[in-house]
Amino acid sequence: MSLVSSRDKRNLIVVFITLLVVFEMIAYVATTPRPREQFFQLYVLGSKRMAADYYPNNKPDISRGETVTWYLGATNSMGNVQLAEVRVKLGNQTINPPDDQQALPSPAPLVTEFKRFTQDNETWEFPFVWSVTNVRFANNSAQILEFEINGETFQVVDCSARSGYNFRLIFELWTWDTGMGAFQFGWVTGGEHRVAWLQIWFNATQAR
Amino acid sequence: MRSSRRILIFTIALLLILVAAHSNTSTYLRADEIQPRFNQAITQVRLAESAGATQSEITELLTTLNKALDLNEQALKLTSPNEAQRRAELLTQVNAMLNDVQRRASALEAVASQRTRTNTVLAYVYGGIAAAVGTFAYASLFAFYRRYRIKRTLQMKVTPK
Repeated sequence: MSLVSSRDKRNLIVVFITLLVVFEMIAYVATTPRPREQFFQLYVLGSKRMAADYYPNNKPDISRGETVTWYLGATNSMGNVQLAEVRVKLGNQTINPPDDQQALPSPAPLVTEFKRFTQDNETWEFPFVWSVTNVRFANNSAQILEFEINGETFQVVDCSARSGYNFRLIFELWTWDTGMGAFQFGWVTGGEHRVAWLQIWFNATQAR
Repeated sequence: MRSSRRILIFTIALLLILVAAHSNTSTYLRADEIQPRFNQAITQVRLAESAGATQSEITELLTTLNKALDLNEQALKLTSPNEAQRRAELLTQVNAMLNDVQRRASALEAVASQRTRTNTVLAYVYGGIAAAVGTFAYASLFAFYRRYRIKRTLQMKVTPK
């Protein structure tokens, strides 16, 4: 006579199969990467690494040679390694900003660019210390000719503002498209083209 | 006679200059030749990443890639003709770093994919083992409970009404 009845055997088989299905499902979930939203974050912080104190004396009037310290940051949440680029452009009140709908960059003149390879979930943050080193005031208009950014000098072509008011620094995030072998404005996720950009206004004033 | 010798010397000098120039251009890379190399490197790193390379393994590759990027930026800033040699050297250095990254990423891809495969198989095997252990635990508990019920039944005192 068997110690285990056929009913018990049947029960054990049912329990084993149930547990097997449960544990194999856990194994499947643990070993299969989950699809997640892919995006980049772009931010600018003030001199104290907070979303405040963007200007010296809390006024947007920047005179020639006055140093302004910001922190630029980009967080890669794309799920893989990315070559990111932050393009810095100088705009005025009339130059178009980037177009979110059409995913088009601003036509404003390029001042400089910063590039870096970032891995998934990495935040790339760096100081952005700038000053206007050459500005021409003439006919009630100011034309910025030269910037110093992080100790390097950059020439700017053709950007002026009435009385020096309402200049803006535009920060655009570009990513490397391996298919094209070139940088693209923003990134593509799920067949959609997304962009990230920021702008900070300032006035160029005569030296005090 | 003298003029023909001069012509000969001039021709040899010209040939030597041409050979030197050719060896320069063939040894060193141009800036536009480097760009596709970055593309190949990032593609290879992504392959290693999708094969299951860990974050620290990828960090090592990215550190080299960022160094190469910095050197490339430095090289592109050297625009005057007397800096051409330095620029070419930097680009060659960048190229060597990109080659190194590609080689390491390729090896990493092979290791990572093997590791991922092993981990996947192990996860399913552990699932089976866990199911067997669970079934054994269930059977033991069930047997213990049955014995306990039998014992309790045998200990019952039957009192007539």
